[in-house]
Amino acid sequence: MSRVKVFFNSSVNSKIVASLAGLGLVGFVIFHMLGNLQVFEGRDAINGYASILRDMPIFLWTARAGLLAAAGVHVGLTLRLALRNRRARSVAYAARRYRAASVASRTMALTGSLLLAFIIFHLLHLTVGVIDPSAPDGLDTQGRMDVYGKIVRAFSNPLYVGIYVVGQLILGLHLSHAVSSVFQTWGIEHAALDHLFKLVGSGVALLVVLGNLAIIFAVFLGLLRA
Amino acid sequence: MKFTLKIWRQRGPNERGGFVTYSVDEVSPDMSFLEMLDALNQRLIATAEEPVAFEHDCREGICGSCSLVIDGVPHGPDRGVTTCQLYMRRFADEKTITIEPWRAKAFPIIKDLVVDRRALDRIMQAGGYISVNTGGAVDGNTLLIGKDEAETAMDAASCIGCGACVAACKNASAMLFVAAKVSHLATLPQGKPERTRRVMAMVQAMDREGFGSCGNQYECEAVCPKHVSVRFIAMLNREYLRSGILGTKMPARSDPPHGESY
Ligand code: HEM
Ligand code: SF4
Ligand code: FES
Repeated sequence: MSRVKVFFNSSVNSKIVASLAGLGLVGFVIFHMLGNLQVFEGRDAINGYASILRDMPIFLWTARAGLLAAAGVHVGLTLRLALRNRRARSVAYAARRYRAASVASRTMALTGSLLLAFIIFHLLHLTVGVIDPSAPDGLDTQGRMDVYGKIVRAFSNPLYVGIYVVGQLILGLHLSHAVSSVFQTWGIEHAALDHLFKLVGSGVALLVVLGNLAIIFAVFLGLLRA
Repeated sequence: MKFTLKIWRQRGPNERGGFVTYSVDEVSPDMSFLEMLDALNQRLIATAEEPVAFEHDCREGICGSCSLVIDGVPHGPDRGVTTCQLYMRRFADEKTITIEPWRAKAFPIIKDLVVDRRALDRIMQAGGYISVNTGGAVDGNTLLIGKDEAETAMDAASCIGCGACVAACKNASAMLFVAAKVSHLATLPQGKPERTRRVMAMVQAMDREGFGSCGNQYECEAVCPKHVSVRFIAMLNREYLRSGILGTKMPARSDPPHGESY
């Protein structure tokens, strides 16, 4: 057996690497949310921010490649673990009651898979732009890509608002368990701090979800206009 | 008291099983859950029916063999007890109670409610021991152990190997059991020389037996009759990382060194 295979046959190794990749994704999700909050500073701010990113193609494509790799590693390893876990309990209980395991913790594979579907949709929609082809691929008055216009157009449509709100709820569930879980996976525990680690998970999830929802609803409720 | 029991019956490892409903009456509230099953079995024997096979030994909460999932919770509704320490007064009169075996691929059913938990023994054989030379007994107090370490090791060592953690875990993971054993031995000076090899070997054995992986869901801790803390799982992960950083090689995939032939 190859060394790589031996390494990843260990469930603990797989979890450690998956959590590292997951942490990279968490970092991105926070960065992405903070960056997008610049819509509240107006068209000029967010379009400028986007064009700065685009003016650094090496940075942009390195980041994209890194994210793709992290997502690939994370999804590959966690789904492999999830399949193994399913096999480990081949016959289900007739009666089943959970005392401690949270809904978020028990649905990681489900929320993860839905998240993957949402991310693909989101990329096709706002990055590649094939979902809503009638959207004008507009430039603003300074000849930059009009990200502001894209966002406003997307979230003026109740259909997209619905899809993105559901996407955020799924992201919130996944993140809330994921972030507190990382401490345990890395062996970081302390009688006095374990409670705090749990709160960090909910806190990060809440922050990201509320930040993103703020943008969606600001447009939908007409606070941000074209 | 009167109860309706839905009990999993399965004639053998490769037979199809299913639930059979029994009613029991004249149950004393002071009977333990196992005594209630004894009474049922007496009646079945008297009518020349096959009694319900269930595992038990000490009947005082220390051997860990009374493995029953009662209404969806291993060892039933009380916390910090085994099935033999569960009393019928805990249930509402005339209730229907569902009784199932531990369900895990790594714990194949032998008969009815009895499962084969030797997978846990094989994990122990892979590393759950210390190697010492025999000879004259060492004088007491030659090896001083701090109060904190002693307490931590005792908390981990209170695991009785019942497998409730596996039964409760959505992933049928044995992490809490393995964590208890690894932490117990890694905390004590006698266990330190082999600690890097031990954690590698025991985790490898755990994965080999077909248990699931830990999802940090903590259902195990909530059903453990000995309140073994999930903090030991963090300790196991730490031991594993430490072992990886020190470059411990994965043990060869041969038979465990202390393996017996089954
Ligand atoms: C924005 C995207 C994502 C982020 C930020 C993220 C983050 C994380 C983190 C930090 C963990 C915790 C690892 C640990 O237990 O220590 C985790 C677990 C998990 N993730 Fe994700 N993830 C994302 C997307 C996905 C996707 C797309 C999938 C699957 C298709 C997925 C499936 C899982 C599963 C199944 C677990 C549980 C692993 C286990 O406990 O064994 N995740 N995620
Ligand atoms: S950790 Fe608790 S539940 Fe698991 S085998 Fe040990 S005593 Fe039983
Ligand atoms: S019979 Fe020994 S612990 Fe229950």
